Amino acid sequence: MIERKQVIPGDVITRGDFQWGSYIEKRGDEFIALRVGLAEVGREGVKLNPLSGPYLPHPEDQVIGKVVDINGFGWVVDINSSFDGFLPASFVFGREFSPSTHDLTTKFGVGDIIGARIESSERSRDPQLSIRGHGFGKIDRGEIVKISPTKVPRLIGRRGSMINLISERTGCDVKVGQNGVVVVSGPPEAVGRAVNVIKMVEEAAHSADLMGRVDQYLGGVEDGA
Amino acid sequence: MSMKKNYVVETIRKTQMLELLASGQRLDGRTPEQHRPITLKVGVIQKANGSASVTLGNSEVLAGVKVATGTPFPDTPDKGLLVVNAEILPLSSPYAEPGPPSEDAIELARVVDRGIRESEMVDLTKLCLIPGKTVYTVFVDVNVMNVDGNLFDAMSYAVVAALRSAKMKKFIVKDDKVEATDEMVPIPVEKIPVSVTLARIGESLVVDPNAEEEGAMDMRITITTDDEGNVCASQKGEAAGITPEHVLQAADTSIMVGKEIRKTIIEATK
Repeated sequence: MIERKQVIPGDVITRGDFQWGSYIEKRGDEFIALRVGLAEVGREGVKLNPLSGPYLPHPEDQVIGKVVDINGFGWVVDINSSFDGFLPASFVFGREFSPSTHDLTTKFGVGDIIGARIESSERSRDPQLSIRGHGFGKIDRGEIVKISPTKVPRLIGRRGSMINLISERTGCDVKVGQNGVVVVSGPPEAVGRAVNVIKMVEEAAHSADLMGRVDQYLGGVEDGA
Repeated sequence: MSMKKNYVVETIRKTQMLELLASGQRLDGRTPEQHRPITLKVGVIQKANGSASVTLGNSEVLAGVKVATGTPFPDTPDKGLLVVNAEILPLSSPYAEPGPPSEDAIELARVVDRGIRESEMVDLTKLCLIPGKTVYTVFVDVNVMNVDGNLFDAMSYAVVAALRSAKMKKFIVKDDKVEATDEMVPIPVEKIPVSVTLARIGESLVVDPNAEEEGAMDMRITITTDDEGNVCASQKGEAAGITPEHVLQAADTSIMVGKEIRKTIIEATK
């Protein structure tokens, strides 16, 4: 059992020699919390899950964004963060891209929802996106749900257990972006159930045996139907 | 970092919206002729002559009335002054910025002002003290506190309610001089204009569009009607056109919905 404790900024989470994640600073041999949240020390090192906060882009994150603008060189994508993502046209059309011969609107228009990966995220520039790889690109059906980005790990669950449970039980396809944007697609009634359970997970994210509650919720509905 | 100018509605959301509208439904569960719940409170600012705070769904505005005396415009020497102004606060929306009033804020104030003025809600001739020299000046300043679409109607209700509930100091003319008295009198309000805004999304007209619907609309029309059901003012916005059938339909809907809202305003300003 991993020990979890509540921390506030400045608290010493633990001492020693560990790997450490975001929202933690190492001073000497002390690991200091930078946010309000739940800290845990396990085999993977010291981790801090903040209770709230905006989405901060990290390279390799898989996000779901909305195209809000198109310029000659690519798409500006709202990734539910304080930064707008930028998807360069050359990442989509390839090396031979030229603004005079390629029409960007044929790929994505303003308002389109796309799944993308954060390619790079530096402080001096807007985060760059890429759609290379399986499962990325335009999402053209589904219901959009926004949850707090800090609750995304709970929604996915250990090795995707929670999200698999939800999509198996409801028969919906559920795409989760690490930026807190979720797209659910499937038959209308099933989508409604999936959306409700996703909102329940967000609300009850701290409770123990969340998996059991979700299982019961989805099982219960099935029995009643 | 690029500046966000407007709320962009997701394409898949707009598709859902159009599908629902085809069967006469809206995403938030309203019917096309249904407006969002209105709450109206008057007398919310103690130091103003009159004030009102209005919420229309999640849109929220605050209006204040200040009455003083001043010189009339040269072309209307025997009429008082009525000026309606709007400011969209930066905290009201992620897309509002500080600085000089935006195009939207100017249009908002102009459309509301026109509705009040053309309905002859306030009898400006009764606000004259010495023709050509001194008249009452009525300033209505509105702050938009939260934006969730259809600010035109929210602001119009706030201004009407604030004017109806306002009390101003009575001035008298003595030996060609204007003197203030301690008596407080109401502003000479004659009518209750009600503005109703409709948006055309695809082929459907919907009353009181929210921010999402405004993001997806092709055209909007604001129509102000008075107590007798006369159309006093209107304004069409956005790029797409409007058919004569839609104009008539919009006018009929405004009169019908307006009647209902007028009752709410009377109830709140009793």
